[in-house]
Amino acid sequence: MRAHAWLLCLPLAGLLALFGGDYHLRFAAEILITGTAVMSLDILVGQGRLVSLGHAALFGGAAYVSALLAIHAGAGLMPVLLAGIATGMLLALVMGLVATRSVDLFFLILTLVVGQMVYELAFHWRTVTGGADGLRGIPALALHLGGASWPMSGARSLFLLAAGLALLAYLLARSFLAAPIGRALVASREQPVRLAALGYEVRRLRLLAMVFAGGIAGAAGALYPFVNLYVGPNLVHWSMSATMIVMLVLGGVGTLHGAFVGTGLYLLVQTYLSSFTDRWQLLIGLLFVLIVIFLPDGIVRPGWRRRQA
Amino acid sequence: MGFYLIQTLNAVAFSVLLMLCGLGLSLVLSLMNFVNLTHGASYLFGSYVAVVWLGSGAPWWLAVPAAFLAAALAGLLLDRFPFARFYGRNHLAQVLLTYGLSVMFADLMRLGFGAEIRSPALPDLLRGVVFVLGMPFPIYRLVLILAGGVLALVLWYLFDRTIWGAVVRASVADRRMVETLGLDTSRVFAVVMAIAAGLGGLSGALGVGMLSAYPGLDEEILLHALFVVVLGGLGTFRGTVAGAFILGFAMTFARVWLPEFAGFLTLLAIALLLVLRPDGLVAPRLRQV
Repeated sequence: MRAHAWLLCLPLAGLLALFGGDYHLRFAAEILITGTAVMSLDILVGQGRLVSLGHAALFGGAAYVSALLAIHAGAGLMPVLLAGIATGMLLALVMGLVATRSVDLFFLILTLVVGQMVYELAFHWRTVTGGADGLRGIPALALHLGGASWPMSGARSLFLLAAGLALLAYLLARSFLAAPIGRALVASREQPVRLAALGYEVRRLRLLAMVFAGGIAGAAGALYPFVNLYVGPNLVHWSMSATMIVMLVLGGVGTLHGAFVGTGLYLLVQTYLSSFTDRWQLLIGLLFVLIVIFLPDGIVRPGWRRRQA
Repeated sequence: MGFYLIQTLNAVAFSVLLMLCGLGLSLVLSLMNFVNLTHGASYLFGSYVAVVWLGSGAPWWLAVPAAFLAAALAGLLLDRFPFARFYGRNHLAQVLLTYGLSVMFADLMRLGFGAEIRSPALPDLLRGVVFVLGMPFPIYRLVLILAGGVLALVLWYLFDRTIWGAVVRASVADRRMVETLGLDTSRVFAVVMAIAAGLGGLSGALGVGMLSAYPGLDEEILLHALFVVVLGGLGTFRGTVAGAFILGFAMTFARVWLPEFAGFLTLLAIALLLVLRPDGLVAPRLRQV
């Protein structure tokens, strides 16, 4: 992201935080949190060409764990965040161990299989996850530091928290991609065989990238229940993973910040459509098709040209 | 004993259904390297066509051909636009396009055929039960097993033993070389797409007597068909058949023993099998350069 983009984003966030109403702040927080998860998917799809159809399971799985901790143990911000990151990384590790043996189509299907396993658990393990009803009655978030505790349940503090998370995750992802491991990941996209000949373990590289992305998605998932106030099995379903890919493509694959643009636009359109028509699924499907036909490179162009392979 | 025999027959009937559906998907996936997520919609469309056909009083034995033709026509139209321009694109674009289309079709079918569960008005001939070791088993499922077996043989013969099948396989192996021989490969692919979609509709018409038709079934079938194809390995007829039977038996018996976590156990079995055989059960030998 260039300097002028920062100059646009930061005052915008500041203005929103100062003058935004509760509804808009919550909506913006949802965009930032979902956008963070979509951005973590961009590390896999954009840099490693690892198209995962199970990313929502990492995000949603962390959301379930975080919601359960808050409901049953009254956990505060820090434990919830740590548990979410751990859940995301652990699920990503399992998914990666299963899926990184393969590439392309088989990778897609294997991530889908592991993701759907999470969905089956969320849907059928009623005593814990609430089954199809999901989890409601999520308590307000609070930050406990030492003996003091600050409530963070208001829309404004949730928005600031989400913005902080998004910023941190973005910087982290950027430094990951600038580091040798990130460069190697890009190389594994372009020339996996040559990279292996140079002595890199491509599979281990992909596994590490998945665990890293899973950690970010998990952190975002940990905050999601407090903004949305509901966690249901649809959050871990593969159609959510597909939606995340659409958000990513809409914003622009391989740019990181495009993920936020795409998520914002998608959620805006979805909210608008579902408020005035019952056939919004038809229109959402149409939106998918139109995006991939007319905007295959997304709104934010990446620095490098995408090859049509 | 009788109970397990009945469950085995159930598993075979379900496997045959999965096989027919998987064969359609496998054709497009392995021959054209195209991820077609609208295959579940083809299945459900075929189911609805059969329900409407049987409800209208037209000759019942034409319901399956009618579903095949209707779905094949839809496949042909889709091939002209927008699939044809996506055959050469990467899987990401294909997944997005066909997923979006399947969401649209699902909503359109909910609009056209209603949201409730629709069961076909089967002719009396197919409605009864036969007794196997003193346990009742629907005649319909026996017919399904037979019809599916015959169809699979016909398909195998068509693609493995006729000159037409050789053209299709050659177009996949080396499209440009086939074109230099004067054959229009885009026409070949259009026909394959129509047959594949038709097979989806046909399996829907055959399966509707067993599974009925309802919104959301398209997605279930799509996932199962995908798993069958991947489990079996791309580009092999035997693999798809083997994948269908493994998945059919795993799902049926997981449902018998642990109904609550049947879905989870089935997925676990698929994941384990794919970890052991990453390219599917019957993998064509490929060299990565």
